[in-house]
Amino acid sequence: MFAAVPEHSLLTGPLYYSSLPLWITMIPMLAGIGIYFLKDHWEAVRKGAALVVSFFALVGVILLFPYSLTGVVSYDLIDFMQMGLFFEVDLIGWIFSFLITAVWFLATVFSFAYMDLEHNRRRYYSVLIFTLGATLGVVMAGDFFTLFLFFELMTLSSFILVIHQQDVQSMKAGILYLYLGIFGGLSLLFAIMMLFSATGSVDIAPALDLLGTQRTAIFVFFLIGFGIKAGIVPLHIWLPQAHPVAPSPASALLSGIMIKAGAYGILRVSLILFSAPGELSAPDASYMFIVGNVLMWIGIVTMLAGAAMALLQSNMKRILAYSSVSQMGYIVTGLGVAAFAGIEGGMGFAGAVYHVINHAFFKAGLFIMVGTIYIYTHELELPRLGGMIKKMPLVAATFIIAAFGIAGIPGFNGYPSKTLVHDALLIAFRDYGLISINVAEKIFVLTSALTICYFIKLFRGVFLGPVPEKLDRDYKLPFSVNAVLSSFALIIIVIGLFPNLILERVLVPVAETLKYEGYAMDHLYHFHFFEWHPIEAMIIVVILAVIIYIPAAYRGWFDWKPPWWLSVYALIYQPVTYRLMDVTCRAGVMVDSSVDSAYNRSGSAARTWCNYIGNFDSGLDRFYETSGKAARKLADRSTDMDSRLDDFYEKSGKAARKLADRSTDMDSALDDAYRKTAETAKKMVDQTSKAESRLDGVYDRAGRKTREEIEKRLSEKREKTGRFDPAKWTTKNLSFDTLLLVLVLSIVLLVIFYFGRTL
Amino acid sequence: MAQATVIAIMIAIVGFPILMTPVIMYSCRFSEKLRNTLSIITSAIVFVLTLLLYPFVIDGGEIQFTLFEVLPNLEISLRLDILSFCLAVLASFIWFLCTVYSLDYMAKEHACGRYYPVLIFTLGSCQGIFFAGDLFSLFVFFELMSLIAYILVIHEETEEALKAGYKYLVMTIIGGLALFFGMIIIFELGGTVSLGVGVIIEESSALAFLAFICFLIGFGMKAGMFPLHVWLPDAHPVAPSPASALLSGIMLKTGAYGLIRVIFHVFSPELMKSSGWDLVLSVLAVITILLGSAVALTQTDIKRRLAYSSISQLGYVLLGLSILNSNAVIGAVFHIFSHAFMKSVLFLAAGAIIWNTGKRQIADLKGIGREMPVTMGCFSVAALAMIGIPPLNGFLSKWTLALGALDANMAIYVLVLLISSLLNALYYLPIIIPAFFELPDGNNHDHQEDHAHQELQFNIREATPAMLSVMIILALCTFIFGLTPNNVAFTLSRLTSEFLLMGGF
Repeated sequence: MFAAVPEHSLLTGPLYYSSLPLWITMIPMLAGIGIYFLKDHWEAVRKGAALVVSFFALVGVILLFPYSLTGVVSYDLIDFMQMGLFFEVDLIGWIFSFLITAVWFLATVFSFAYMDLEHNRRRYYSVLIFTLGATLGVVMAGDFFTLFLFFELMTLSSFILVIHQQDVQSMKAGILYLYLGIFGGLSLLFAIMMLFSATGSVDIAPALDLLGTQRTAIFVFFLIGFGIKAGIVPLHIWLPQAHPVAPSPASALLSGIMIKAGAYGILRVSLILFSAPGELSAPDASYMFIVGNVLMWIGIVTMLAGAAMALLQSNMKRILAYSSVSQMGYIVTGLGVAAFAGIEGGMGFAGAVYHVINHAFFKAGLFIMVGTIYIYTHELELPRLGGMIKKMPLVAATFIIAAFGIAGIPGFNGYPSKTLVHDALLIAFRDYGLISINVAEKIFVLTSALTICYFIKLFRGVFLGPVPEKLDRDYKLPFSVNAVLSSFALIIIVIGLFPNLILERVLVPVAETLKYEGYAMDHLYHFHFFEWHPIEAMIIVVILAVIIYIPAAYRGWFDWKPPWWLSVYALIYQPVTYRLMDVTCRAGVMVDSSVDSAYNRSGSAARTWCNYIGNFDSGLDRFYETSGKAARKLADRSTDMDSRLDDFYEKSGKAARKLADRSTDMDSALDDAYRKTAETAKKMVDQTSKAESRLDGVYDRAGRKTREEIEKRLSEKREKTGRFDPAKWTTKNLSFDTLLLVLVLSIVLLVIFYFGRTL
Repeated sequence: MAQATVIAIMIAIVGFPILMTPVIMYSCRFSEKLRNTLSIITSAIVFVLTLLLYPFVIDGGEIQFTLFEVLPNLEISLRLDILSFCLAVLASFIWFLCTVYSLDYMAKEHACGRYYPVLIFTLGSCQGIFFAGDLFSLFVFFELMSLIAYILVIHEETEEALKAGYKYLVMTIIGGLALFFGMIIIFELGGTVSLGVGVIIEESSALAFLAFICFLIGFGMKAGMFPLHVWLPDAHPVAPSPASALLSGIMLKTGAYGLIRVIFHVFSPELMKSSGWDLVLSVLAVITILLGSAVALTQTDIKRRLAYSSISQLGYVLLGLSILNSNAVIGAVFHIFSHAFMKSVLFLAAGAIIWNTGKRQIADLKGIGREMPVTMGCFSVAALAMIGIPPLNGFLSKWTLALGALDANMAIYVLVLLISSLLNALYYLPIIIPAFFELPDGNNHDHQEDHAHQELQFNIREATPAMLSVMIILALCTFIFGLTPNNVAFTLSRLTSEFLLMGGF
C-alpha cells in the first residue's frame, strides 16, 4: 500500500524519501541473525560486530535529525506482506529512535563487561542486536501494520533476553511475559483490523471522525495491546517479574527502552489517531475528554501502585522494576492530560515525551549501576549488601545523580519533565475546575514523595552501612563500565542543567506539528524551570518524603511483605486465566468426546438394530426351516399315504385278480358242471336208450315222453343260466370296471375323510 | 498453449501416477532402490507437468473436456481453471517433498512395497479430484482417494491404527454415500452434474437444501468439520509421518475444495446468502475452530495435538467460505496454501523427532531443540506461523480472513480467529519453549559462577539431510509466502477469488 498522504495529514514540512530508515532497522536484524552463526570462541569478533552495528544505528538516526526536524523521512516497500511495509520518521519517531539507539549503544558497551560472567553469550549478543532492529522498527513505522509487525518481533526476541538465565524463576517470568505479549499483540491486531475496516487505511493519522461507533472498542484494544508492553496497572504484572531476571544490560533496555514502545503506541493512538487538536467537533471533543480522563486516571493509579510496591521490595532490581511501572504512570498521566485538554494539551504532551526521554536515561543508568554491583558481588538482595560507597565510589556517585534525576531534584533531568506534567495537571485543574483533577494532582505529589522514599531505602541499603564480610575486598572497575556510568551521569546532569535546550529545540516543534496552542503553549515557549513556583513544588515533595520516610523506616514498615493473595496476579490473573483455560478445555473436550461417543453410541445402536434384524432374519430362517420340516413331514406322510394307497391299489388289484381268478375258476367249474351235467345227461340218455332197447316197445311212448321231457328241462336249464337276471345280482357277476369305480370313489372319500381329520 | 496440449497434460497428470502404481509395485521385486527412484520420478514428473499448466491458467484459460460418457448426461470429464490449478500445484509440490522425505523415514518401516504404490496412486486420484470436470468424476476420484488412503492410515497395523482406520473407513463411506445422494438430487433438479455450466441450481428449495446438506456432510467429513471430525484425530496421528503430513496438508483440502466447487459452481454465492445456508456453514466453522483449538490444548501426544490443530485450521477455511466476500475467499484459498505448508512442516518435524528419538509425548520433548536444532527450528517457524506471528504466511491468511469478516461486519468472527490464535500460542509455545530453553531436570543452576563461560550444550543428533532439506524448504515457504512482495500463492488466491466471485479475472 502506498502511503497516500491522508487528508488529516500532520505533515507540515517536506517529505524526504530515503531508504535509511529501512537500513537502520534491517541491518541490526540481519546482523543479529549473523552473529548467532559466528563461532563460539570468536568473542572479539562478536563484540566488535555488536558494537559496530549499534554504533551504526546511532549514527544513522543522528543523520536523520535535520530531515525529521523539518519534515518527514519516509520509505515504503510496496507489497511486502501484501500490505506494504511503510517507514516514516517524524520528529516524535526520531526522539524515540534516538533514545533507543543511544541507550542501546551504552548498554551494548556495558554488556562486554557484564556478560563475561554469563553463559550463552552467542545467543545473547545475537538477540540483543536483533531486538535493536525490531525496536527501532516500532518507532520508525509509518503505519500501524508495520508497527505491529515490528512490535511482535520485539516481543518474541526480547523473550529470549528475559529467560537468558533459564532457571525456574526466569522461565516462569519469561513465559508470563511471552503469553501476555502475545495476548497484547492479538488485541493490537484486532484494533488495527477494526481501524482498517473502518477507515480503509492503517495510517497513523487523525481518524476519530471515521471510526464511528467502534471507536471505544478500538481504543480499548489498542490500550490493552500497548498497555501490556507499557506496564500500566493492572496489565503490569509481567514487568516486575521479567525485568529483574534478565541480565542487567538487558534489564536496562527492557525497562529503559522497550516499555517505551508501549508508551509510544499509546501516544500515537491517543494523541494522533484519536485526536487532532483544533479540528475536533464538539461531540468528539467531549468524547476525547472522557478518553483522556480515563487515560489520566490509569496513569495516576499506575504511578501510585508502582511506587507503593517499589517501597516494599528488598531486591534491588525489583525496586527498579516497580519504579519503572510508577514512572510509566507519569508518562501515561501526561498523555491523558494532553488527550483531554484538546488544544491546551501541549503541556501534558511535552511533559510526557520529556519524561520518556529522561526515564530512558536514568532508569537504564540505574539498572546498569545495579548490574555493576552485581557483577562483583553476585548479590541483589538489600539486606545482604551495604557500604558499597567505600568500595565503588564512582558507582555511588553516579547512582546518586541518577536517583536525584528520578526523584526530580532541580538540576537533574527528572525535574523538568515532572514539573511539566505537574503543571499540565495544574493548568487542567484551572481550566476545568474538576475535583478529580485536583485529587490527581495531590496523588502525583504523594507519589513523587514515595519515589524519593524508595530511593533513600535503596541507596541506604546498597551504599551505606557496614560492608558485609563476604564482600569486603577491592573492586576494580574496567574502563568501559566507568565510561558508560559516567556517560549516563553526564547526560542526566546536562539535561537537568539545561532543560530548555531539549524543550525548545525538540519538544516545542513537535507540539507545534500537533497543532497545540493556547495558554499552555505560550507558557511552554519560555518555560522558566528555575523559578520559585516549580521549585517550591519540589520542596514540598521532599519535605513530604522526609515526613513519610523517617517514621516508616523507624518502624520497619518498608519491610512488610504483602501476602501473595493480595497481588493482582493472585486476585485477578490466576483465577481468571485458570477458570478460562479450565472452561475452554473442559468444554472443548466435553463437546469433542460427546460427539465421539455419539458416533460410537449410534454405531452400537445400529449394531443393536442389526442384531434385531439378524434375530428376525434367523427367526424367519427358523420359520422356513420348521415349515420346511413340516412340509417334508407332510410330504413324507403323503408319500406314506401314497405308498399305502399304492399298497392298497396293489392289494385291491391282487384281490381283483384273485376275484378274477376265482371268477375264472368259477367259470371253469361252471363249465365242468355243464360238462358233467352233459355227461350225466348223456349217461342218462345212454341208460334210457338201454332201457328203451330193453323195454323197446313197452316203454316206447313212455320213453319218448321222458326224452322229450328231459330235453325240455335241459333247454329250460340252459336258458336259465345264459340270461341276466337282476334278482340274482351278486358279487359273483360284478364286472371289473365297476370295481375300479367303486375303489376310486372310496379313495376319494378316504382322502377327504383323512384331510378332514388332520386339517 | 494449445488446448489439445493442455488436455494431454491433464490426462497425463491424472493417469501417469495411476499407471505407474503397478509398475512401482512390480519393481519392488527387483530392488528397493528402483522402487524409490520410480516413486520420486513419478511425483516429480507430476509436479513438473502441473507447473507446465501455469502459463495457460494465468492467462485466464479454462477447459472443460469430456473423456467418455458413462450414462447419458453422466460422464467422466476433466476441467482446468485457476482453482483446480492452485490445489493441483500445491498438492503435487507437497507430495513430491513428502515422497523425498519418505525415503529415509520409511527405511525403518515395514511394508514399503505397499506404501509407495499406494502413495503414488493416492497422488493420481488426488489430482483427479482437482481436475474433475463434473460432480460424478469428482465423486469417483474422491472415493478412490479416500479408500486407498485407508492403507496409508493403517500402515503401522497396530491395534490402534486398525481401530482408527476402521473409523476412517466407516466415516468415509458415510461421506461417500451422502455425496452420492447429493449428486443424485442435483442431477434430478438440474439435469446435469457438470461443473462447467456455471450454476446448476438457481432457486432455493427443500430438495436443494437437502443436497447442500449432503455435500456438507460428504465434503465436510473430509475437511474435518464439526461434528464429522471424529475420525481425524485418530487417523492422522497413527499414519506414518509423511503420510500424516499429506493427510493433514493435502487430503483434508480436498474436502474444502469440494465445498468451494459446490458453493460456487453448483449453487451460487448469491443463493447461499439469500437462502441463509451460509449461516449453517459459518456456525459449524466457528464451532470447529474453537473446538479444535481447545481440545488440542489437552492433548499430550504431539501428533494428536497437531491433528486437532488441523481441525481448527480447516475451520478457518470453512469460515472464509461462509463469509463469501472477496477478502474472505482470498483468505480461505490462501489459508489452504498456508496450512498445507505449515502443517506439513509440523508433521514432518514431529515425524523426524519420533523417527530419531521415539519420543511422542510432549512432556518428553524438553531440550529436544538442542539435539535436533534444525528440525525444531523448522517446527518453531511453522508453529509461529500457526500462531499468526508476522511476517509468516499464517499471519497473512489470518489478516485477510479477518478483513473479510470485517467487510461483512462480523467482528465476532475476528474475535474467534484471534481467540483461536491465542489458543494456538498456548498449545504450540509449550512445545517450543521447553524444547529450546528448558534445561533437563535436575540441572537448574542457581549459581552463575557454575555456568559462566559456557555455551548451551548442543548434543546434535539430527535427522538425515534429505529429511532436513525437505523441512527447510517447506519452512522457508512459510516465510516466503508471507513476506515477499511477489507472492505467488497470494496472487493465485486473489485471482481464484476473482474467478469465483466474478467469474473471471
